[in-house]
Amino acid sequence: MIRIHDLSLSAGNFRTGPLNLEPQEGAFNILLGPTGSGKTLLLESVIGLRPVKQGRVILDGKEIQDLAPEKRGIAYLPQDLALFPHLTVRENLRYGLRAQGRISAEDESHLERLIEALKIGHLLERPPQGLSGGEKQRTALGRALATSPRLILLDEPLAALDPALRGEIQQLLLSLQRTLRFTALYVTHDLEEAYLLGDTITVLIDGRIEQRGRRQDVFLRPATAKIARFLGFRNLFPGEVRPPGPGRTGMAISFWGKEILLPEEQAAEAFAAGEKVILYLRPEEVLVLREGKPIKETLRPNILEGRVMRVLDRGAYQWILFRPSGMDISLEIHLPNYVFRNLALTEGQGIRVAMRKESFWVMPDEDRG
Amino acid sequence: MNFLKTSVWAAVLLFLFYSVLILSLLTAFEGKGFWGILLSPDTLFAIRLSLTAATLAAFLAVAVGLPAAYALSRKKFFGKQVVDTILELPMIMSPIALGAALLIFFNTRAGEAIQSRGLLFVFEFPGIVLAQFATIAGLATRLMKTALDEISPRYEAVARSLGSSAWQAFWRITFPLAFRGLISAGILCWAKAVGEFGATVTLAGTMAFKTETMPTAIFMALASADIPKTVILILILAGIGLTALYAVRLLGKRPQPL
Repeated sequence: MIRIHDLSLSAGNFRTGPLNLEPQEGAFNILLGPTGSGKTLLLESVIGLRPVKQGRVILDGKEIQDLAPEKRGIAYLPQDLALFPHLTVRENLRYGLRAQGRISAEDESHLERLIEALKIGHLLERPPQGLSGGEKQRTALGRALATSPRLILLDEPLAALDPALRGEIQQLLLSLQRTLRFTALYVTHDLEEAYLLGDTITVLIDGRIEQRGRRQDVFLRPATAKIARFLGFRNLFPGEVRPPGPGRTGMAISFWGKEILLPEEQAAEAFAAGEKVILYLRPEEVLVLREGKPIKETLRPNILEGRVMRVLDRGAYQWILFRPSGMDISLEIHLPNYVFRNLALTEGQGIRVAMRKESFWVMPDEDRG
Repeated sequence: MNFLKTSVWAAVLLFLFYSVLILSLLTAFEGKGFWGILLSPDTLFAIRLSLTAATLAAFLAVAVGLPAAYALSRKKFFGKQVVDTILELPMIMSPIALGAALLIFFNTRAGEAIQSRGLLFVFEFPGIVLAQFATIAGLATRLMKTALDEISPRYEAVARSLGSSAWQAFWRITFPLAFRGLISAGILCWAKAVGEFGATVTLAGTMAFKTETMPTAIFMALASADIPKTVILILILAGIGLTALYAVRLLGKRPQPL
């Protein structure tokens, strides 16, 4: 399908890459990164709106980086949708077919099916100005898909929508993608949207591709602390890999004088003894231990004592700030509401928490080299 | 007095200033001889000459200025700032100086070569068109660039992704969207060309029934102390100009952006 090979881009003082990317064919591919990371620049270069000075864009085995946008056959949905205001919804939808001189019955019936799926049949004679946000989204989607493109590039098209409408259009997008099987390359900085839509996720930060993989790989196993920070991970602590010790299998990390045992899936060979690392602890997987209740053997190695510093009701869960005794760190814990109610935690209360080995993730500490 | 009230008073003051000028014309206008002067052969010739030359000059300015405006609006190229600055030259340069520059050019080898091939400009009708073109081309380009700047390049980007060539995307999308702004620019430049005097008189002279445009006729009438004729010619010119400006106002309502 499409392959981006050693693409170096620049805009003003900003420079990227060389970027290498191969979105999965027939899948929803997310390009995720903070604002100013070069996502739109990359998309505009692939579509042909910016000249490519270095590198190649290969579509179906053919180099297309020097072709005019209209010769690439890649559909494009920008953030502002850019519905043509002087044309009706019908004229907008038919624009691509007309521009490409396509008048086949097959194209017509595809457009009819699309109009039905998008539920915009009643809007066809209206100008775009009077449409609601959702109707505009549906029309723009229909216009992009009317020519049955195999590849569509979407540049944060849902960013301006309110959450309820965004959810509805996300579902519609997914459903259309699953039905029509087009390849989507979708740019966003919204983590939730990336997780919801993405079959694959590529993380782009400061013009560099930091990680790519299935969404679980990226969200559960970020390759670097930089990615983890971008993903909003808070329980990140510096640590050091311990050399193998007597009676211990697997990897251990010392942090703040305490040794934490890590899961086997965190291959010990990836880190050398003595290496500085960043330790991440999933806040929703921290267990608050009840006094007097027996503790499972597997939990015993990773137990911390300390005090509840703050409690915040976040609606869907309770946010606890925990300060372990003798450590100058704070740990965020997300507790389900029913657990919180049963525990009846209050600020200042002394508690013990246990951490499963599987709840940790270790990353190289790039800051310390 | 607060800022808003002061600003309103400034507008009223300007209105009064121009009103006094128009009223003084009407005071001098005795009402007699209007139709006689308007329908006299020399006035009708001057009106016809002014309108023909201004229409041609405006057409040429739009024809050359539109692609130039598009390039300045959409493209980055080496020397763009210099080109942009040069376009403002007619706005800061006295029209007489512009006309003198043209006259001097036609005394150079290149200018003489052009004239010797039958393309006569000095003291000829094409000279009027050229002088008016020189005065308005930069302004036309600047105004059309502003009209094009208001249309997001994103529309063209999407049109091209849907299969339109660069020209098709311009013609089917940007041009219709910018149409009112472009027409307004054309009308404003046409009105300015109708009223152009300095460059025209320097390059084309003041020959009756040959190069005497309306502003030239006003100048000639004033020079011969014929105040009633001067006033009537000014009123006719003002009428043409105000009609053009009113047309621009009517066209000024643009489609609502999305």
